Amino acid sequence: MVAAVAAEEAEAFHFCGHIFTTESCPSPFRLPRINRLGYPLRPRDGKPIDNLGRRVNGSGYPVDEAGVRMVGPDGRPLPKGPRTRICQDWVPERFHIDARIQGSWYRCCNDQIRKLVDCCSRSKRRINGDAALRGYCYAPRNVFCVMYYETGIPC
Amino acid sequence: MVETITPDVCGSRRRQAGALLFFALGALAASACVGAVLGLAGSRIDAWALPVAALFALVGAAREGGFTRLPLPQSRRQVPEPWRFTLPLPAWAAGYGAGLGLGFLTYQPVATFWVACAAAVALGRPLAGAVCFAAYGVGRSLLLFLPLRRGSDATAIVEELAGRRRGVLRVNAVALLACAALLTAPAAGAELIPLGPGSQFDPSAIGPAFAYTQRDLGVSSVVVLPSAGGALQYPEAESPSLDGELLAYQNAAGIRIVRWATGEEVARVDGATSKPALDWPWLAYRRKVPDRTLLELKDLTTGEVRRLGSVPGGADLGRPSIAAGRVAWHVAGSRGSRILLYEIANGDKQVVMATTIALLSNPSLSSTRILWIKQRQGISSAYVRKLRRTQIRLVARVSSQRTFYWTTDLYGLTAYVTRWTVAGGVARIRRIEL
Repeated sequence: MVAAVAAEEAEAFHFCGHIFTTESCPSPFRLPRINRLGYPLRPRDGKPIDNLGRRVNGSGYPVDEAGVRMVGPDGRPLPKGPRTRICQDWVPERFHIDARIQGSWYRCCNDQIRKLVDCCSRSKRRINGDAALRGYCYAPRNVFCVMYYETGIPC
Repeated sequence: MVETITPDVCGSRRRQAGALLFFALGALAASACVGAVLGLAGSRIDAWALPVAALFALVGAAREGGFTRLPLPQSRRQVPEPWRFTLPLPAWAAGYGAGLGLGFLTYQPVATFWVACAAAVALGRPLAGAVCFAAYGVGRSLLLFLPLRRGSDATAIVEELAGRRRGVLRVNAVALLACAALLTAPAAGAELIPLGPGSQFDPSAIGPAFAYTQRDLGVSSVVVLPSAGGALQYPEAESPSLDGELLAYQNAAGIRIVRWATGEEVARVDGATSKPALDWPWLAYRRKVPDRTLLELKDLTTGEVRRLGSVPGGADLGRPSIAAGRVAWHVAGSRGSRILLYEIANGDKQVVMATTIALLSNPSLSSTRILWIKQRQGISSAYVRKLRRTQIRLVARVSSQRTFYWTTDLYGLTAYVTRWTVAGGVARIRRIEL
């Protein structure tokens, strides 16, 4: 019985937990990992990153792996770069549509619960180019692209 | 197909000429479209397209030279014969021309067409691609005009050419080798300017000289390279801006303006000032005040100072550029970035471009163009645009999370872009002919 209720690793389309065909939202890396507010995180370790893919500190300044502020070729600390929300900011600018986070679902991935999030819009097309599906979006919005958030809760 | 267009017996000379004309127009239009589409596709991909095109040329040369047997993508089908009987002359003649002008719907005796396709993608310019490929359409059409000129049998001319295939292949192999060499040459893309060891950035170019910041072991200096004569160095200085015989640069005390050939000081702006941009008598520069950074524009003859912009402490107000009565600079922060343009004569300020997701930075101005850097998702790109147009052209791109573009300059039709690598912090200046 224990084996029957034990969580299985979710099957994946292009990342764990996502079994439909909607593509990822645009993000600094290929995998669209976000924090709870929709800002980009580095997929492999969840460190906050800016839109250029650089790791940033709590104030938004680019830092190296030791957390020390990165310097430019002139020896001065680099200024902040843009760090904006994948669904609410990237999608509207790239695709000229209004988008917001609505529905989500949960899967067990890497021994912790992953929240998969729909970025929803009124577009009749998905980011893939084909017809949009309702997914977990609230009518009249449809799924445009997907992202995910790692809750850290064991499963 | 040749006999179809230039029949010996059927049709008048006028009809024949009409068919040839429409054929040529169809071939030209179709081939130009192919070139434009390939150029457009190439404008959206990385700089690796150039070495791939060179590889195509090498493989093509090996094939023509007989070193490898490689089938070419092609169609050996004839033009649709029924069109001649069912469609009006302009339609079928143009249709035949378009079918052959497309290139990939017909027999390909040599690999050159496919190498040209790869080169058009690598070039990344729709208009240039269209013009170059239109020559292919012209070539296709000339074969049909030859019988008219020489009064010969069209089929015989084609067979004569086919008989010289070996020679054609040999010449083609040599031509493709030359193409491969050109495509891999540094001038095919951004050319690295050899300036010695250390880091070089902040390029500033005018006709008789080129200046930049040289940084070695944590110490910066400004170097001026006259077109004639040896290099001049200004120690403990950075961020040069050349204007004719004058040089503006920043040091610990503020900004100095000197005659670069002699070092004679002409003017200075003291205080927490930096990043000068000089177009005499106007000097644009940044000034740090508590909790803000200002962009000021000063008339060095009258002392008039205008404030062009300001940002709070956490935001970045970038190195300005000044040319032909305009000032450009960038503003960037966590919410996005934008490039601004200020007209000195009338005081108009406009946002040239803005984004919430990319980092737009380091614009440079010439009298007719603006160049800037755009960074996003691990891709650094340099773009240029004519000031009075909206069409943007990509001039350089690097895809890496560890390499970025930095400061720039634009002089005439030559762009200078600094490329630096995070690991080691080394920066190098590249020159790109527009």
